[in-house]
Amino acid sequence: MGGLNTSLLTGMEALDATQAALNATSNNIANANTAGYTREVAQISENEEELNGGNVTGGGVSLDGIESVRNELLNLQIQQQTSLQSGADTESSSLQSIQTLFSSTGEDIASTLSAFSSSLSQLSANASSSASQESVLTAGENLAQSFNSTANGLTSAQSAADQQVTTTVAQINSLSQQIAQLNAQLSPSVVSQQNGGTIEDQRDELVQQLSTLTGISVSQSSDGEVITTGNGTPLVMGGQSFNLQTTTGSNGYQQVLDSNGNNITSSIQGGQLGGAIQIRDQVIPGFLSSLNTLASQFATAFNAAQAKGYDSNGNAGQNFFNLPSSTTGAAAGISVAITSGSQVAISSDGTSGSNGNVTNLSAALTSALPSGQSATSAYANLVYQVGSAASNASDTSTALSQNILQLTNQQSSVTGVNIDEETTNLIRYQTAYEAAARIISTIQALNTVTLDMGATQSY
Amino acid sequence: MRVNTNMVPDILADLQQSQSTLNTALQEVSTGKSVTVPSDNPAASAEMVQNTMESANVDQYTKNISSVLANVQQASSTLSSVVTSLTSAVSLGTEAANGTNSSSNLSSIASQVQSILSDVVSDANTSVSGVYLFGGTASGATPFTADSSSSTGYTYNGNSNSNSVQVGDSLSVQVNMPGSEIFSNSSGSVIGALSSLVTALKSGDSSQIASATSTLSSAITSVSQAQGFYGNAESQLNSQETYLQQDTVTLTTQQNNLVGVDEAQAATLLSQAETDNSAILAAAAKVLPNTLLNYLSAPS
Repeated sequence: MGGLNTSLLTGMEALDATQAALNATSNNIANANTAGYTREVAQISENEEELNGGNVTGGGVSLDGIESVRNELLNLQIQQQTSLQSGADTESSSLQSIQTLFSSTGEDIASTLSAFSSSLSQLSANASSSASQESVLTAGENLAQSFNSTANGLTSAQSAADQQVTTTVAQINSLSQQIAQLNAQLSPSVVSQQNGGTIEDQRDELVQQLSTLTGISVSQSSDGEVITTGNGTPLVMGGQSFNLQTTTGSNGYQQVLDSNGNNITSSIQGGQLGGAIQIRDQVIPGFLSSLNTLASQFATAFNAAQAKGYDSNGNAGQNFFNLPSSTTGAAAGISVAITSGSQVAISSDGTSGSNGNVTNLSAALTSALPSGQSATSAYANLVYQVGSAASNASDTSTALSQNILQLTNQQSSVTGVNIDEETTNLIRYQTAYEAAARIISTIQALNTVTLDMGATQSY
Repeated sequence: MRVNTNMVPDILADLQQSQSTLNTALQEVSTGKSVTVPSDNPAASAEMVQNTMESANVDQYTKNISSVLANVQQASSTLSSVVTSLTSAVSLGTEAANGTNSSSNLSSIASQVQSILSDVVSDANTSVSGVYLFGGTASGATPFTADSSSSTGYTYNGNSNSNSVQVGDSLSVQVNMPGSEIFSNSSGSVIGALSSLVTALKSGDSSQIASATSTLSSAITSVSQAQGFYGNAESQLNSQETYLQQDTVTLTTQQNNLVGVDEAQAATLLSQAETDNSAILAAAAKVLPNTLLNYLSAPS
């Protein structure tokens, strides 16, 4: 069928298509700043040509749908880098708080250890002065306290990381469930092309959030998206989610179990969860063990030096430091055993004026402990380890966030909303809509003219 | 190619970066330290632990020297007064031994030597803030006390040990000589010689006086030796003090190199960071609000 009605229909289709394009444009503008939103493009195609009485006429336009523009490869890269960055970030922020324990504050071990050394040296010059003797006792107490507070600081950072494990696992479970629900809506039987876009956007955004919590690997199967942790423990399979669980382990810390109850704690890497586990199970225990070894070996050496001499009352030197029975907890449990400055074993011959044993006491600070290093060197070494761990973690985090910024830029250049582009499109579709509307009104006018033909003789 | 027009993340990252540089520069200028936490420079922080320890020790060694030096100087001057006393006792003895003195003369000389003996004993009992200088390590007890049962009339209550004070990482200086070595040793007891001179003077026997005098003059040697020991200790302490002063300078320099900031450089960095920061802010203010909409007339 030809004639004016064909043009009217074509005009109608043009209005429909342009409206859809305007919808897409306005939706893009509305969501210009929505996280995870990918820009939509109206897919418009021309209809098949029609043959009218030997003449070929255009078939008008039709709307195929509105498509979201996305780049799965970039998504995957961003997710991966985000996991790594968020893991490094978690480690870094924990190490930032840990390293203040090792900064020169006057309360740190370096300060109290050197004050202890000075007090001994002072004793060497004033062996019989009770003020000098008391100052050794006080300096020893301060040293023991700074060992205690450093160890406690490390332990509380460890507990904080442990707490983070529990809360992060809960967040991971909640995200897995939401993603599974969205997957179910996206599964092929339910999908309608039109709204697939926004649901997929939401899902990608949730997957992105999930990747900050733990390292994940994402793949597609016939059931929809499959998300597993880095070691292959399933979190989401299509419309089904698998909860991780936590349970208190033999070391008193929360262990992460998969849905079958297998312990997967040590294989979790990346993300806040991986970072917290790394800090809790590797980094801090390393520091603590160095600190405990130092506290235990130093106190043992000092007690041995005490035993070589006599105190100001003429008694054989007794233990200066009390140590817990095991090396684990030596730093947290070390305390001063003697109660008076007169019990410091200054004398080598039993007389109160002798300072002969002070040399032995001082040597406990400067000579090599069983670890092969002097107390000062061993502590300096620990400071170096803490400092370089903190600086590595923060460098890694900074470098990765640069990567992510670049990838995000790349992603935005493909999927992001460009206001200028949308404005241009707006003008384009406005003009197109006006023109299509003009077709309708023109045809209407022509129809009127046609219907009026012969009714009124105006000429 | 499509260009990403969303500059917000970039600008935010740049702003954060420059803000953190600005903070660091400000902190360096205000604290004068380039290393405040170990991660700023792990190696320097580790060396600072050693430096802190050494600085504290050097400080304390210096304090030790000044407190010990006072004792050593006191001992040294005490011994010179002892030597003076002994010398006059020897000349009194020599005078008495020539056989021309009347018994009243001899008894007056005897009382003079007796008072020299009391002076020497009191010198040998010198104490500085409660610590007896010549009691060995038994510095809490009066070294020489009168004892009628002893042949010399005095008992030594100290011991034959000595104390060494640490004044350097590997340097200890012996700071006292036990009184037994100075005043009553086997080669010639100062106090014993003085006592026998008094006894000889009282008896009036010239040969006994002469022999007691000669014992006394040989006993002076041990006191002079002790004087030499204290002089030696004093010069050792003084030279160590000079060394420690240099060491303090070295340690302070090292500390500055490790964690200090170069003021000029820090100030330059700060102003650079300031400029960077305001440049980014100005650029952001210019670029961010720009869209095509600014140039399109509002729809009529």
